[in-house]
Amino acid sequence: MKTTNAAIPSPAGQSLVKVVLVEDKAGVRESWAKLINSLPGFSCVQACASGEDALRVIPPANPGVVLMDIFLPHMSGIECTARLKLLLPKIQIIMLTAVEDDELVFMALEAGADGFLLKRTKPEDLRAAMLDVLGGGAPMTSEIARRVVESFRRAGKPLAPDVRLSTREEEVLILLSKGYSNKEIASQLSIGIETVGSHLKHIYEKLHVRSRAEAVARYMTSKA
Amino acid sequence: MPRRKPKTLSRIFLRWRCRWLGGLWLFFLWGIPLCGSGAEPATNAPVDWVYEATNHLGQWIWETNTLDKQTVRFWKSFPVPAGSKITNANLRLTVDNGYTLFLDGQEIGRGSDWRTVTEYDVIQLLSPGRHVVAVEGFNDRLEAGFIFVLGIGLADGRSFEISSDNSWLVAPDNEKNWAAKKSAPAGWHHVIVIGSIHHHPWEGLPLGLATVPALRLPAVHFWQRGGFQLALSAACLLALGFCLWLMTRLAAQGKAQKYLQVERARIARDIHDDLGAQLTQLVLLGEIAQREPAQDAKSRGQFAQICERARELARALDEVVWAVNSRRDTVRDFSSYVCKYAQLFLGATSLRCRLDVEPEIPATAFDLPVRRNLFLAVKEALNNAAKHSQADELFLRICRQGQTLSVAVEDNGRGFDLAQARGERNGLANMAQRMSEAGGTCDISSQPGGGCLVVFTVPLPRRRGWFRRTGSDETAARKMNLSGS
Repeated sequence: MKTTNAAIPSPAGQSLVKVVLVEDKAGVRESWAKLINSLPGFSCVQACASGEDALRVIPPANPGVVLMDIFLPHMSGIECTARLKLLLPKIQIIMLTAVEDDELVFMALEAGADGFLLKRTKPEDLRAAMLDVLGGGAPMTSEIARRVVESFRRAGKPLAPDVRLSTREEEVLILLSKGYSNKEIASQLSIGIETVGSHLKHIYEKLHVRSRAEAVARYMTSKA
Repeated sequence: MPRRKPKTLSRIFLRWRCRWLGGLWLFFLWGIPLCGSGAEPATNAPVDWVYEATNHLGQWIWETNTLDKQTVRFWKSFPVPAGSKITNANLRLTVDNGYTLFLDGQEIGRGSDWRTVTEYDVIQLLSPGRHVVAVEGFNDRLEAGFIFVLGIGLADGRSFEISSDNSWLVAPDNEKNWAAKKSAPAGWHHVIVIGSIHHHPWEGLPLGLATVPALRLPAVHFWQRGGFQLALSAACLLALGFCLWLMTRLAAQGKAQKYLQVERARIARDIHDDLGAQLTQLVLLGEIAQREPAQDAKSRGQFAQICERARELARALDEVVWAVNSRRDTVRDFSSYVCKYAQLFLGATSLRCRLDVEPEIPATAFDLPVRRNLFLAVKEALNNAAKHSQADELFLRICRQGQTLSVAVEDNGRGFDLAQARGERNGLANMAQRMSEAGGTCDISSQPGGGCLVVFTVPLPRRRGWFRRTGSDETAARKMNLSGS
């Protein structure tokens, strides 16, 4: 059993990583805040009850990581994510869901989320996921990988180079969708495991950029 | 226009203005018969036609008031003696200026040449019993009159005539279906008699006699008969009623189906929202309790166990929610759920899970019993592989072949002898049982040292799913529900 103490080095030198939590249920919010604070190297600086709150609080707080509940009253977590990413493109947002729902997760990724976790995730896994996104990685399941590949292939017209998947990126995704782990992919493609992570990160960005471009295009055509 | 005593100043004026023109008209009109009776085309009467034509005619009758542009409806009912046989029935009439003639409500003739008496042979239209003759007369201007006779001869030598006299009634303008009325309602008033056949200004009339060929009742086809029409109407009504009934049944069934789906989605949401949220909270509380500083190792361990159990419970709950939720009734959802389950389940073992899923699996409808049984069977196969195979790699393959879905679980383990295994392995019997419940098949092939391949095949529903639940609809529905939960 792992005991928590401050002896574990914090990820960004001595300073704590600032975390903002967005969760509408008061009890859950408090528990999460306590849990985050108990994780070495992380500090929950704010806990917001709504997406509207989050948009007000987060830009001045400028946290390293935002943990966002996907279901929020009024403004959904997905919409809030999209808006936050417009304000602060560098911010790392991890979606929290009660049940795994690929559809929702995919929508969140398109909105610009950097990762997703089940709410019942073990605190150690939460910490690992936050360190992962801060270190430039991106978690992706085989199911999401399959959806990403499909969505890029489904885009009828040729995509601009900055939103098109490179051959290597597609290779990574296909291996992921076949159930290979990042480590296995790295050895299969003879690349470093960090490179696999950065490929995934790029894929996330392209997904986000593409969906934003599509949203703009939709907006433009509906105006015309 | 025949002239009688002028009644109004305007008539006097008209008369004076038109005198010479009227004279010319009179000359012209009188000239025709003088030039030769052959000029009258419909007239092929004998020499004494004037006598013939006028002999039996009744008197000139009209409505009490004579007006220009006036329409008067004359009505008369008469009996033909019961049991008699009619040998001849000729009807003659003329109206200054025109008429429409009805017999028993049926129009049998029209005329606008008031100078010619027209004769209709109506023997075919009459039978013993009560009949109604009705004439709609029209007066253009100035004097007006209607003159009529119907002579009927019977086989026993008797004969009788119905002629225009003051027994005729006038039907009001607003009376509907007046010509077919078998009896005159109270309030219909009598006509007045203007004068006899040669009364001024009709002296010397008629100028001719036109004979209309014998009238026959139009041939009545079977589809025109009341009985047939009634039967047809009844059949149509019956068919309509049956259709309506069928539609109601269908609608009710569709409604019940929809209701069931909505209810299932609601139950799934409730479980997820209430139980799921509570469980999540329980896990969180347990984690926090674990981290309280004033704890000994034992209670910390117990809290860790609580958390672990709660997580397992949450996972089990997810499975129930997945099974119950009608929004998950699609092949696509099934495949993604099975893959996720396999990865999670095998993640805790030494088996590497490889997925081979057909790309772009459609959101075809996949009903609860089938997908649940198939899922449980796959679960059993994965469990068997994890427990017995000693393999290091397992392939999960999902693909569609026409109207069937096949899921294959293949491991590279030590395999087994099927013949021996049947008796001792419950798992195999379970899988077969599940698949027969789902209406599918389960094929197991294995040999010692050669791994094991289990292929499950289930039929996919036809037709349904074309209009139900396309992927984009689902996504759209979700987008709308996002903020609500």
